[in-house]
Amino acid sequence: MTNLLILPILIPFLTGVILLFFPKQITAQRTLSLISGVALIAVNIFLVIDIAQNGIRTLEIGGWSPPYGIVLVGDMLAGLLVTSTAVLSLPILIYSIHSVGKEREGFYYHSFYYFLITGVSGAFLTGDLFNLFVFFEVMLIASYILIVHGNTKRQLRESFKYVLINVMSSALFVIGVAYLYSVTGTLNMAHLSERIASLDVEAPILTVIAVLFLIVFGLKGALFPLYFWLPASYAAPPPAIGAIFGALLTKVGIYSIFRTYSLIFTQDTEFTHTLLAVLAACTMIAGVIGAIAHQDVMKILVYNVIVAVGYVLFGVSTLNEPGFVGAIYYLMHDMIIKAALFLIIGALITVAGTSHLKQMGGIIKYHAKLGWLFFVAVLALVGIPPLSGFIGKLMLIEGGAERGQYWIIAAMMVSSLLVLYSMIRIFLNGFYGEIKLERADQHGTTKGLLLPCSLLIAVSALIGLGAEVLYPFVSTAAETLLNPEIYIDAVLKE
Amino acid sequence: MFTALHFAIIMPFIAAILVPFLYKQFARIHTGWFVLIVPVLLFIYFIQYIPLTANGQTVTSVFNWVPSLNLNFIAYVDGLGLLFALLITGIGSLVVLYSIYYLSKEKEALNNFYVFLLMFMGAMLGVVLSDNLIVLYTFWEITSLSSFLLISYWYEREQSRYGALKSLLITVIGGFAMLVGFVLVYKMTGTFSIQEIVASAETITGHPLFLPAMLLILLGAFTKSAQFPFHIWLPDAMEAPTPVSAYLHSATMVKAGIYLVARLSPIFAVKGEWLWLVAGFGIVTLFWGSFTAVRQTDLKGILAYSTISQLGMILSMLGVGAAALHFDSIDNNLYIGATTAALFHLINHATFKGSLFMMVGIVDHETGTRDIRYLGGLMTIMPITFTVAVIGSFSMAGLPPFNGFLSKEMFFTSMVQITNLGMFNIETFGVLFPVIAWIASVFTFIYSMIIVFKTFAGNMHPGLVRANIHEAPLGMLISPIVLISLVVIFGFFPNILAHSIIEPAMASILPSLLGGNEQFYVNIRFWHGFSTELYMTIGVVVIGLLLFMSLRKWAGIYRLFPESLSFNRLYDQLLVTTENVSTILTSWYMKGSVRQYLMYIMVFFTLILTVVLFGKGAFTVNTTNLAPISIYEAVLAASLVIAALLTMFASTRLKAVIGLGATGYIVSLFFVIFRAPDLALTQLTIETVSVALFLLCFYHLPEITKGAKKVRFQPGNFIISLAVGVTITLIAISASSSKLFDSISSFFSEASHDLAGGDNMVNVILVDFRGFDTLFEILVLGIAAMGIYTMIRLRITGRNRP
Repeated sequence: MTNLLILPILIPFLTGVILLFFPKQITAQRTLSLISGVALIAVNIFLVIDIAQNGIRTLEIGGWSPPYGIVLVGDMLAGLLVTSTAVLSLPILIYSIHSVGKEREGFYYHSFYYFLITGVSGAFLTGDLFNLFVFFEVMLIASYILIVHGNTKRQLRESFKYVLINVMSSALFVIGVAYLYSVTGTLNMAHLSERIASLDVEAPILTVIAVLFLIVFGLKGALFPLYFWLPASYAAPPPAIGAIFGALLTKVGIYSIFRTYSLIFTQDTEFTHTLLAVLAACTMIAGVIGAIAHQDVMKILVYNVIVAVGYVLFGVSTLNEPGFVGAIYYLMHDMIIKAALFLIIGALITVAGTSHLKQMGGIIKYHAKLGWLFFVAVLALVGIPPLSGFIGKLMLIEGGAERGQYWIIAAMMVSSLLVLYSMIRIFLNGFYGEIKLERADQHGTTKGLLLPCSLLIAVSALIGLGAEVLYPFVSTAAETLLNPEIYIDAVLKE
Repeated sequence: MFTALHFAIIMPFIAAILVPFLYKQFARIHTGWFVLIVPVLLFIYFIQYIPLTANGQTVTSVFNWVPSLNLNFIAYVDGLGLLFALLITGIGSLVVLYSIYYLSKEKEALNNFYVFLLMFMGAMLGVVLSDNLIVLYTFWEITSLSSFLLISYWYEREQSRYGALKSLLITVIGGFAMLVGFVLVYKMTGTFSIQEIVASAETITGHPLFLPAMLLILLGAFTKSAQFPFHIWLPDAMEAPTPVSAYLHSATMVKAGIYLVARLSPIFAVKGEWLWLVAGFGIVTLFWGSFTAVRQTDLKGILAYSTISQLGMILSMLGVGAAALHFDSIDNNLYIGATTAALFHLINHATFKGSLFMMVGIVDHETGTRDIRYLGGLMTIMPITFTVAVIGSFSMAGLPPFNGFLSKEMFFTSMVQITNLGMFNIETFGVLFPVIAWIASVFTFIYSMIIVFKTFAGNMHPGLVRANIHEAPLGMLISPIVLISLVVIFGFFPNILAHSIIEPAMASILPSLLGGNEQFYVNIRFWHGFSTELYMTIGVVVIGLLLFMSLRKWAGIYRLFPESLSFNRLYDQLLVTTENVSTILTSWYMKGSVRQYLMYIMVFFTLILTVVLFGKGAFTVNTTNLAPISIYEAVLAASLVIAALLTMFASTRLKAVIGLGATGYIVSLFFVIFRAPDLALTQLTIETVSVALFLLCFYHLPEITKGAKKVRFQPGNFIISLAVGVTITLIAISASSSKLFDSISSFFSEASHDLAGGDNMVNVILVDFRGFDTLFEILVLGIAAMGIYTMIRLRITGRNRP
C-alpha cells in the first residue's frame, strides 16, 4: 500500500479544478500549469523508482480490499506510461502557451488539458475494469471539449464525428463490462485473471468477450478496421491539441489491449492473439497507405499515428519476452516522437502558412533548426539507430521471429520503408526544394515553439542512447506482463 | 571501456558538431582546412596498426552500449577493417583537400557540407571497425543518410532531390532486409558479434534460417554496392558535388557492400548459393555497367556506370574466392588468388577512379560542362589534368604498366580457373564467367578511351562558350596527382601492399584456411608468361580499339533496348503507382461521412462477433436460473418497444419527447416490479427533470419537419442495425447463460450494513465501495458543463487554424 499511487491522478485533477476559479488571469494559469507539469514528472519518476525497488505497488481506495473495492495498481508498465505521459505533457503545455492563443487560454484550456491528463493517468493506474471505463470517460469528455475548443468551423464539423463514434464505443465498453461481469462475477482485473486462469475447461464465451473488448479498445486505439474517425478529427484542432491526442489517446486504447490481452484474456491465445497479430499487420499497412495518399502534412502525420498502433500491437500479440520488451519500448518512443512531430509540423504550418506540401518549399533556408529537428524526428520515427525507435523495432523483430511470424515482420519492414517515404517527402518538398517564401513573406514565427520540440527530440535520443538505463525497467514491466501471477499476488494476497 | 580506438571512430562526429561553430567564428578561413585535420590525424593513427595486423594480430576493445540486449560497441581492427579504414581516411584527406578548392566559401553553405561529410566519415569507419552486427547496422544507416544529405546538398535543384530520394529508398530497403537478416543470424547463434558467429559458423549451416538470412544480408550488400538491378541509384547520385562522388560514390561508401560480403564470407561462403549469387550478380553487374557506360554523354555518368561495373568485378572475384574454402589448406589452393585479386583491385579502383572523378571535377569547374558532346581539345590547355586522365583511364582499361593491368590479369586468371572447380554445377554455366568477363572488359576499354579522347583530343567545340579556359589551380591538382602517382607506384611495386595490407585482409576473409602460425603469401608479378589471360588482354585491346574507332556505326544497338523497360522507369513507375493506388484506395473508403464509418465499424462488429460466437460454439441458452415471466413484465416490455419506436418515428418534437419520457417511466416500472424502489425513484426523478428540460429547450427551437429532408427507408442500414441488435442480444443471452463463477455481489449486501453502515446497498456502493468511480463521474459532468459553457461563449473566427 502506498498513497504515492494516487498522486499522478490527484495532481492533474486538483490542478484542473483550481484553475477553473480564475480563468482570466492567464499568467497565473500558466504558472500553476507549468509548476504542476514539473511536479507531475518528478512524482512519476519517483514512483517508477519506487516500483523498481519494491515491486508492484497497490492502493485500495477507501480501504475496501479487492476484489470488492477499487484498487489502483502501479506495476512497471503503468509506471512507465504515466511517466511518459508527464514527460511529454510538459513540452506540449509550453508549446500551447506559445501557440493556442490567449482566447483559448482564457477559456479553461489549462483545466481541460489537465483533466485529460487525469483521465489518461487514471486509466493507466487503475486495477478495476469498470474504473477504467470511468477514466476513459474523463479522458474522452475532456478530449471532446478540447477538439472543439475555439469553435472553428472545421473543429465543429470534425468533433461531431469524433464524439458520435466515441460515444458509441463507450456504449460497447459498458456492454462488454456487463457481459464479463455476468460470466465471471467480478471486475477487478487481478481477480478476473485469477478466476479465468483457474478454469479447467475452455469457456468459448470468454473468447467472444475478448474479441468484443478488442473492438472496444481497438476503436480507441485506432486498430484496423476501426480507425476511420481518427485522421480528420486529429487534424482539426490546433497542433498542440493534436499532439496530445496523437501522443496519448490512442495509446490508452493500446495500453488497455496490452493489459487485458496479457492479464485477462489468455485462455484462447491461439485464436485471440493471432487475430490481434493479423489486425496489427493490416493496421501497419493501411495506415501507411493513408500517409502516402496525402499531400497535407498534418494528414500524413496523422496516418502515421495509425501505423505505430500496428507495431505495438504486433509486439503484444507475440506473447514472448522480446516482443513485449519491444512493444513497451516502442510504445514509449512513439508517445514522445509523435508529440514531437505534431509540434514540429504545427510550427511548419505556422511559418509556411499552408499545410499543403505542394505549396511549400525551401523552408529550411530561414528555419534551419526546425528543419533539422524534423529530420532527426523522422529518423527516430523510422527507427534509425541509435534514436529511440530502433531498440523497440529491433526487439519487435526478435519477438516476431521467435514466434515465427515472418510475414508480419516483412509487413512491418515494408511499412517502415513507406513511413520513411511518406515523411521524407515532407523534408524534401517542404523544407528542401525551391524557396517559395522569402524572409519578409513568412506567415508566422517559431518563437517559443522550438524549445518544446527540442526537449522532446532530446528525450527521444536519450531513450535510444540510454537504452541500457531504461532496460531494467522495461524488462521488469515485460516480466510482470508475461507472468500474471506476479500481478495477482500483488493485488490479492497483500 | 571507451578506448582511443572508439574515440578515433567517433572523432569525425565530434568534429561535425564543432563545424558550424568554426564556420561562424572563422568565416574568413575556408572551413575545409579545419576539417582536413581530422582524416589526416586518423590516417596517421591507423597506419600504426599495420605492423600489428601484418603479424596476424587483431585488436578488440569493447564499450558496453546496451549489454542487456547484447548490443555492444565492439571496436575490432584486423587486416580487412584496417584496409578499409586506411582507404576511408586516406582518400578522405585527399577529398577534403580537393573540396577546399572545389567549393567556394563565398557561395556555398560549407557548414552543412562538412557536417555531412564528417558524419559520413565517422559512420564509414564505424561500419568497417565494428564487430557487433547491430552497431555495424547503425553506422550503415548513417552512411545512407549522410549520402542522402550530400546528394541533396544543392537542395533547390529538382534532380538533386530526386537522386537523393532514390539512393535513400534503395539503400534503406537493403538496410532493413539486412537488419532482419542479422536478427535471424542472432536467432541461430545467440550473438551479434561477428567473430563469435564466425567461430560457430559450422554449427548453423544446416539451419533452415541460414539461407533466408544469407539472402537478406546479400540484399543489403547488393543495394549498397549498386549491384544490378539495384544499381539505378548510383548514376542519379552524381548530382552530388564532385568531391562527394569521388569519395562516397566511388571510393568508400559503395564499397561497404563489398566489405560486408568479405566480412561475412567466413560465415556464409561454404554454401554454393553464396558463390553463385555473389559471383553471378557481380559478373552481370560488371557487364551491364560497362556496356551502359559507353552510351553515356556526361563524364560523371560514364564514371558512375564504370564504378557500378568495377564494383561488380570486385564482387565476382570475392564470390569466386569463396571456392577456396572448400579446400582444407592454402597449399595448392588456386582459388585464393581470386580473393587476393579482389582486395588488390579494391585498392587500385580507389586510386584510379578517385583521380578520374577529381579530373572530371576539374574539367567541369574550368569549362562549365561535363558533356563529352561539347568537350574536346583540352589536351594542350590542361596538360596536367590530361596526364591524370590518361593514366587513370589506361589503368582502368587494364593496360600495362599501371596497377589496373595487374588486377585485371588476376581477375582473368580467377575467372578462367573457376570453370575447373567441379562443384556446385559450375561445369554447366561456369564457362560464362570468363566469357562475360572478357566482353565486359572490352566495353571497359572503350569507355576508358572515350573519357580520354573525347575530352582532351580533337578540337575544342564551338558550343563551349566559356572563354580563357586554363589549367586548374595547384591546390585542386594535388589530390589527383597523389592518387595517380599511386596508380603508377602500385603498378610497378605491387608487393609493397602485399605483405602489409593484402595478406592480413585475406586472413580475415578466409580464416579457416590458416592453421596455427600460417600466413598467406602474396606475390604479384607483371609477367606470367604467354598465358590465357595475356591473350585475353591482347584481345581486349585489339577488339576494343576497333570498336572504339567504329563507335558511331554500332551505337544504334543502344536504341534497340526500349527506354520504357529500364529499371529506372520501373522505379519511377513504382513510386507513382504506389502513390496513386494509395490515393485511390484511401479516398475510396475515407469519404468523411460518419454514417459510412459507423457502417464499416458495425459490419465488422457483427461479422466478427457472430463468426466467433458460433464458430467457437459459445452460443448457449440456459434458463434454469431464470424466474418465470409474468404478464406484467410482458406487457411492460411490449409498451417499452412501442414507446421507443414512437420516439424514432415521431413527426414533431413534442411527440418525440413524450415517447422518450414514456420509455424512461416504463423502465422505472421495471425497477418497481423487481423490488428496487430506490432505483425506481431515482429513475423517475431523472426522467421528469429531463423531459421538462427538453420541453423547455424545444420551446425555442423550430419544428423538425421544416426544411428536413424526407429520409427514405434504406434496407442496407436497416439490416446492419438489426444485425447489431441481434448480435448484442445473442451474446447477452450466452453471457447470462454461462455464469462460470459466483458474483462478488453477495459481499456488498452483507457489508453494506455491517461495515459501511448503510441500508441502501446501491447508495453505499455509489458513495463508499466505489466512491472513486462516482467522484470521477461527477468530474465528467463538471467538464461537460464547463465545456458547453465554453462552446457557447468562445468562438475564434477568422483564420481556420490559429
